[in-house]
Amino acid sequence: MILRAAIAIFRRDFKKFLSNPFAILMTLFMPIMYLVIFGNAMGGTISHIPVGIVQDTPYIEYTPLFDSVEHTLRYWNSSKSSRIIELTVFPDEQTAKNVLNNGKIDGVIIIPSEISKTGEVRLYEDSSEYVIPGMIESALSAAVAMAGSKNPVHIEKIYGDIDYIQFFGVGVIVMAIFMTTMMGGGIALIRDREMGIIEGYLVTPVKRSSIILGMIGSGTVRAFLAGSIIFFVALLLTGIDIRSPSSYLLVFLVIAVSSLGITSLMVSFASRFSNQQEYAASSAFINLLLFMTSGAFYPIQGMPDWLRWLTVVNPEAYAVHSLRSIILRGQGLDIIGVDLLALGIFTAFTITLGISTYRRTLE
Amino acid sequence: MEKEDIIIIDHLFKEFSGKKHVIAVNDISFRVEKGEIFGLLGPNGAGKSTLIRILTTLISPTSGKAVVNSFDVVTHPEEIRRIIGVCPQNSTLDLELTAYDNLEFFGKLTDVPEAELHLRIYKLLAMAGLTDRAQMPVSTLSGGMRRKLEIVRAFIHSPLILFLDEPTIGLDPESRREVWHQINELNDEETTIILTTHYMDEAEKLCNRVAFVDKGVLISLDTPENLKHSLSMGDIIDIGVDDYDDIFVKSLAVIRGIDSIEQKNHRILVSTREGTRILPHLLARFEEAGVRMISISIRAPSLEDVFISLTGRNFGADAESAPGNPGRRR
Repeated sequence: MILRAAIAIFRRDFKKFLSNPFAILMTLFMPIMYLVIFGNAMGGTISHIPVGIVQDTPYIEYTPLFDSVEHTLRYWNSSKSSRIIELTVFPDEQTAKNVLNNGKIDGVIIIPSEISKTGEVRLYEDSSEYVIPGMIESALSAAVAMAGSKNPVHIEKIYGDIDYIQFFGVGVIVMAIFMTTMMGGGIALIRDREMGIIEGYLVTPVKRSSIILGMIGSGTVRAFLAGSIIFFVALLLTGIDIRSPSSYLLVFLVIAVSSLGITSLMVSFASRFSNQQEYAASSAFINLLLFMTSGAFYPIQGMPDWLRWLTVVNPEAYAVHSLRSIILRGQGLDIIGVDLLALGIFTAFTITLGISTYRRTLE
Repeated sequence: MEKEDIIIIDHLFKEFSGKKHVIAVNDISFRVEKGEIFGLLGPNGAGKSTLIRILTTLISPTSGKAVVNSFDVVTHPEEIRRIIGVCPQNSTLDLELTAYDNLEFFGKLTDVPEAELHLRIYKLLAMAGLTDRAQMPVSTLSGGMRRKLEIVRAFIHSPLILFLDEPTIGLDPESRREVWHQINELNDEETTIILTTHYMDEAEKLCNRVAFVDKGVLISLDTPENLKHSLSMGDIIDIGVDDYDDIFVKSLAVIRGIDSIEQKNHRILVSTREGTRILPHLLARFEEAGVRMISISIRAPSLEDVFISLTGRNFGADAESAPGNPGRRR
């Protein structure tokens, strides 16, 4: 008797499973995606690290040490023969440091002049990145040693010592936003469709734009609250020290804009679905894909080229980058303006898409 | 004066393709006059709800034309949505929200002026007898309460046309009477009401005109009175019996003036044009044969009888014997 009922329950559940080929596909697709994306996005060999090199004044010609180090670093290849360091020669120290402060390069190497008393090779590095500073350091030490020089290497971390937990802590703020949109997001739209509640309000004069904007508004507020809470928790847990009050304001601005962008994406995505399961699976897929390639876990430079293009259209990558700029590097609007602009364009695009694809009928 | 037509339906078709091809609405044409209560009557799966969904702009017709208050459903859906109120067949209340919040939500979507909304909601709650439940989640209300709430919600914005899809389904007799009362009251305020039902008595009590729909086809359209008169049968004598045999029933048929005799579950139904004249003769036969009568009644044919005579089928029987008409939602 127990067995008979159990078999009945089993059959019922299995029939439901089989009647939803999308779910079957997703259960297989997710692990494969993890393998391909996660495996490549995380722990890939970091290459193409932008580094500047400067010959310290006064000098007439580049010193032999400069020539040697420059040559070695420029042709420093990984086993896969992709260049590890993208070296740029700068005319003077100040220019190079400005570029470093703007985040365009990850380090500046200053080769001492021949009349320098200490003969110290100086390295200024962007310590807010993960793995990269270490790679520049070891590459430089090796290059100096290969030049047969005994010059000491002095390392200066321009943002102080930053642990991985602090690097990752910033990414977690974006994770809070995406988790909220995944749970909330557009699922209420689909539940309305599934339960037939939608039939009640589709016969009112309500416009598609009202429905979509209302959903995005509510989702954005929730995502913003979640992001802000996690921001404070991350500050407490990771001991990040924020330098100025204006940075706090910028952080909230970025959290708000990112929440809007990511929520818009999920809501407009939801406007095409009529099945909660399918939506949940697809949104988890998209969100994980975006989060993994956002640079939250691991520097974007570690991704293979085919994956790196994704970061160009990935709102979460812009969110992570701008948050990291403010929180870890104390940078301002001049640096994150581009990120905000990109997020804005993305948001406008997804909202338009959401409104225009929302089905205003039952068909 | 000729009455104005507020809804015009002209050779309307709706086909659903998919796993099973269904023609839900098959070449239906009719007009609804302004201010009337118009009944769409038919068994489950007859195409009533599909027709309502086309008129309320939820789905588009495959072919043909439907015009609501001079707006075409395909080209001007937004204008139509502004003047209609709809109570769908399946509940569309948000169970997590309170009764008040549900009404408020719809009041805002239908653009009821903010200043009037609060009073309007309480007026409607009072109408539905739910004033004391205003702040309770709809999930805690009984089925009847929910239905009444849904009906009053449909006219929160005082629409020109009200569509009620099976408004009294699942309600107890008292609630049904209350709903009927509400519908009549609204109609007194010049609201045109389109009502679907598969309850004959409901259509009979409420509707000015009734359209019979079966398997997507319009079978007949007239006032309830005319429909009944159009039947050849005059009266029905319904006799409940305990124990009888076929020979006895056949012996009854000899009486002059009887059109037909039908027997089902210990009931004998006699159709005749002259009920009062036949009755004494009938009683005499029962007396002679010693067959005991449990009950006896003479009645005029109901709409249900009309339906049976038009389709040759019984309403109740149809629901079970027509697997070809699955309840189709979406």
